[in-house]
Amino acid sequence: MTSLISFDGATLGYGHRAVLTNLTFDIPQGDFLGLVGPNGAGKTTILRAILGSLEPMAGTVTIAPGLRFGYVPQRDSVDYNFPLKVVDVVLMGRYNRIGLGRRPTKEDRELACQALEHVGILNLADRQLTALSGGQKQRTLIARALVGQPTVLVLDEPTNGMDLVSTTQILGLVRELHERDNLTVLMVSHALNEVANYVERIALVVERGFRIGTVAEIMTEQTLTDMYGIPVDVDEMHGHRIVVARRTAPAAETQHNA
Amino acid sequence: MLSAALLFKDALYGSLVLSVVCATLGVYVVLRRIVFVGAAIAELSSMGIALALWLSGMGWMAGASAHPVAFALIFALAGAMFFGIGGGARSGVPPDATIGVTYAVAAALGILLIAKAKSGEAHDIFLQGNILGITRADVYVLLAVSVPVLLAHLLFYKEFLFVSFDRETARTLGYRVTFWNLFLYFTLGLVIAFAMQFAGVMLVFNYLVLPAVTGMLIARSMGGIFITAILSALVASFVGFSLSVPFDLPSGPAIIAVSGALAVVAWLIRSLQRR
Repeated sequence: MTSLISFDGATLGYGHRAVLTNLTFDIPQGDFLGLVGPNGAGKTTILRAILGSLEPMAGTVTIAPGLRFGYVPQRDSVDYNFPLKVVDVVLMGRYNRIGLGRRPTKEDRELACQALEHVGILNLADRQLTALSGGQKQRTLIARALVGQPTVLVLDEPTNGMDLVSTTQILGLVRELHERDNLTVLMVSHALNEVANYVERIALVVERGFRIGTVAEIMTEQTLTDMYGIPVDVDEMHGHRIVVARRTAPAAETQHNA
Repeated sequence: MLSAALLFKDALYGSLVLSVVCATLGVYVVLRRIVFVGAAIAELSSMGIALALWLSGMGWMAGASAHPVAFALIFALAGAMFFGIGGGARSGVPPDATIGVTYAVAAALGILLIAKAKSGEAHDIFLQGNILGITRADVYVLLAVSVPVLLAHLLFYKEFLFVSFDRETARTLGYRVTFWNLFLYFTLGLVIAFAMQFAGVMLVFNYLVLPAVTGMLIARSMGGIFITAILSALVASFVGFSLSVPFDLPSGPAIIAVSGALAVVAWLIRSLQRR
């Protein structure tokens, strides 16, 4: 399969401080990759390198020519003080194509409405963004990413702070977009249990290193115990994988934290 | 009342020009929660004026007092650029603390410089503002600054909006976020530096904040906020100015009082709508 994004011995970091070293992996066309790990482990650093806002300190990060990213930021990074209608937010996804000094056309509005229909909230097009629920806001941001007709959909913690129902619906929607449109999806999350049952491959970014593979390869007790440094159980229930960290004695906990 | 105000019609025209341009920029100032950046830039600008008067008074730059706007501009734009790139956020000092430090130090230095300027007492008016002193030539100067700024905001509305609303996504779509952010702050610094010559810190701050707040309370869209803010600033200027002349009141505070009254009315309307 054609590789869209390639890391070749890439070292990533800020200033002189390397956060991740010697990363080598590919993201092929049609992939659904979950970039999973705790906060501060380097997920956002990898994301920035992919989106082109961070140059590798060593090695290379190659992006296929003509690749278009549809970016869905963390919900809280958007300023809800601005009184914008849902359709106006979605239109922002076309701003770079509209050009400097020009206003969105009727065609742009139609495309925005199509994107809203795609994510199932066309009926909310004229509502204020601030009046929506967390799940509806996330759908709006996904619609904005889709209206630019991306090759790769990138989602940064799309279910952060959501309840069980909204989380399931949003992850289901992303999975549907991947399957229906054969869209390459890269999803960043700290919640392994949530992501593991929707993605096809997982890139695990933890303090102890980086490992990438299929869900079956990564979701093993051995791999997760090695990566997280604590004993982990992996179980299956109704076809879903569940990861549970074994209860540890306080002494062992202290040792891990140290 | 109107006929009395028309005795100072250039001053009235000048305040109306300031109303439109400051209220437009004020929408970003309020929505982006950078209200006190506006105040700090105004103080920096006022400090620039004080420095010009002090240098001139000391005989080091004799012509400086004739062109205080150049000094006001340098300090206002330097401040705007500083806050535009993050205001020293990397040093670990919280952004609002940096704004507070700038405001306090600039205000104090302005007062100290004026106190030691030989021509200082006569020129206190530069710091307080003297809206009645606006001449026809001043109106043209204000128009020469305001029209390009307003055109830039009309032309690049979606760029300013996008980098203000969601800078991360704007960056991934190829926008030069730092450039657009600095451009926005540059227009703010430019307008404040010129407005300060005539309106003073307090009135400029009012024009940047109160009309936009009125707009936010009344309108439900960006377009609506801009229109309401501009209209309320124009009404406040016109009514405040017209009342101040026959009643022998200072024009700046009269305009601010009307702006405040309009904001209270807007707040009452909003409260009634929510019931």
